[in-house]
Amino acid sequence: MTRTILGFALVALGLAALAWLPTQVGAYGVGLLLGMTGYVVLASAWALFSGPTRYVSLATVAFFGIGAYTVAVLSETLPYWAVLLVAAGIGLAVALVVGLATLRLAGVYFVIFTFGLAELIRQLVTWYEVNVTGTLGRYIFLPISPEQIYWQLLALAALTIGIGWLIARSRLGLALKVIGDDETVAAHTGIDISGVKLALFAVSATIITLVGAIQAPRWTYVEPSIVFNPTISFLTLIMALLGGANRLWGPALGAIPLFLLFEWLSANFPSHYSIILGLMFIAIVFVVPRGVLAGVEDLWKRLRRKGEAA
Amino acid sequence: MTTLLKIQNLKKQFGGLTAVNDVSFSVAEGETVALLGPNGSGKTTVINMISGAFAPTSGRIVLAGENIAGLAPNRIAHKGIARTFQLVRILPSLSVAENVMAALAFRPNHLWGTEARDRAEHLLLEVGLGGRGHEHANDLTYIDQKRMELARALAAEPRLLLLDEWLSGLNPTELGVGIDLITSLGQRGMTILLVEHIMEAVRALCSRAVVMNVGTKIADGPTADVLADPAVIVAYLGDGHA
Ligand SMILES: Nc1ncnc2c1ncn2[C@@H]1O[C@H](COP(=O)(O)OP(=O)(O)OP(=O)(O)O)[C@@H](O)[C@H]1O
Ligand SMILES: [Mg+2]
Repeated sequence: MTRTILGFALVALGLAALAWLPTQVGAYGVGLLLGMTGYVVLASAWALFSGPTRYVSLATVAFFGIGAYTVAVLSETLPYWAVLLVAAGIGLAVALVVGLATLRLAGVYFVIFTFGLAELIRQLVTWYEVNVTGTLGRYIFLPISPEQIYWQLLALAALTIGIGWLIARSRLGLALKVIGDDETVAAHTGIDISGVKLALFAVSATIITLVGAIQAPRWTYVEPSIVFNPTISFLTLIMALLGGANRLWGPALGAIPLFLLFEWLSANFPSHYSIILGLMFIAIVFVVPRGVLAGVEDLWKRLRRKGEAA
Repeated sequence: MTTLLKIQNLKKQFGGLTAVNDVSFSVAEGETVALLGPNGSGKTTVINMISGAFAPTSGRIVLAGENIAGLAPNRIAHKGIARTFQLVRILPSLSVAENVMAALAFRPNHLWGTEARDRAEHLLLEVGLGGRGHEHANDLTYIDQKRMELARALAAEPRLLLLDEWLSGLNPTELGVGIDLITSLGQRGMTILLVEHIMEAVRALCSRAVVMNVGTKIADGPTADVLADPAVIVAYLGDGHA
């Protein structure tokens, strides 16, 4: 109990420090913080669903893009907070439909489907813009500063990790553990397995949609190839896997160093960036499939056992 | 006595193999009935269809007047049917208490928090695992895993309990304890359908027995009569012994 209170105090203190940071780092620093926090939320939200269910989703950018495009389309007609609500609503609705259709798919079919989904939505939006509205890109003129975007993302990060913390302590969290251990037992003890997966997918997708919506004003100019860029899905996945998709803080811990690394790579090796990304992806899947945190724990246990044996 | 479970013309085909063929029988409220038959006769398949693991190819499974055939297992669990598995199934990453709490947390009138913890502890005591809730389910011996599995089934407070060879693999002392445990459940009015190869247990526990052979029902009646039936003896021991 006291440990929980201490933990909360530490997190609150950390959040306060992070919220204060923009006043200290200048415009470039704020840009970095903003992008980093965006990926902390994306990776954490991705892991909410993909961590316990082990469904590898490449639909991240589908929802991210839906969020960004909703802002691009509605920012002139609705107040900002209402635009965010509409974006979240659309993300949730799409997640429910897609989830109902796909959560029965096993393993690799799910991966392929989610990748296809992101491409499909991008093509649909492109087609609509070209044929119906007669434009390809849209401008977003919202009086929202980078600091404000950063603070919103920071709040969303706290919310996402808070949701993960609550789930782990809830009946939903127990249901996930039971499903992870034995789906047959789960079903026979009354757990609605598809319902649980759908709920998680919906929560995860709604948060991801909000990240896209909150970050949209940052771009000023938006077009499908920018906001539906599949690299976003792959980066999110690599970050969450590196940190450990089954740990509360794992995805965040994976997102921070990888974001900085990718920033540096894309600035210094723009033409080799994709190759390096692909190689990292393969390396992570082979070397630390359960994440660095779990890997370190395993190593620690092994060393301790050796110490006891000696 | 009112009928709780009524199986009507139940059939299950796996490709070309008919595992269960036109089986009908019923179980009355409060009764303990044995489902017998040699290896591969289709007993587990019947249990699997009643609990929803498999949908029947055809036929009806009526629980208290409602046809539940083909419903998803979680829906059937919520209708009041709980089961154990022929090959014991535990949740290996959870503690013993959590294994039981999993069933408490997802039954219709679910329990959670300290209520669930207390109830789990009580159920564990009942199956002979008192005070061992904190242990890792994976560290339990086979017999204790079976006990835990029974506690998990009882946690659902089922109207109908399905036991698939729950007594197999026990040593003689453990068998006695197991029989006493199931007897006490029956005395509390629980309705039980059990698959068993140990005839001593069947005689002690079941007033009625249903016998299957190669997917079809060959006998149904009071246990003593059924076990003396020449057709049953032939099915179990082969022609040479009749
Ligand atoms: N999932 C399945 N797929 C294909 N065939 C199956 C399946 N389950 C059972 N069978 C077949 O159905 C028949 C009946 O099997 P079942 O497990 O119901 O027998 P049983 O009476 O429980 O036998 P035992 O006493 O050995 O447990 C067997 O021939 C078995 O191989
Ligand atoms: Mg069997």
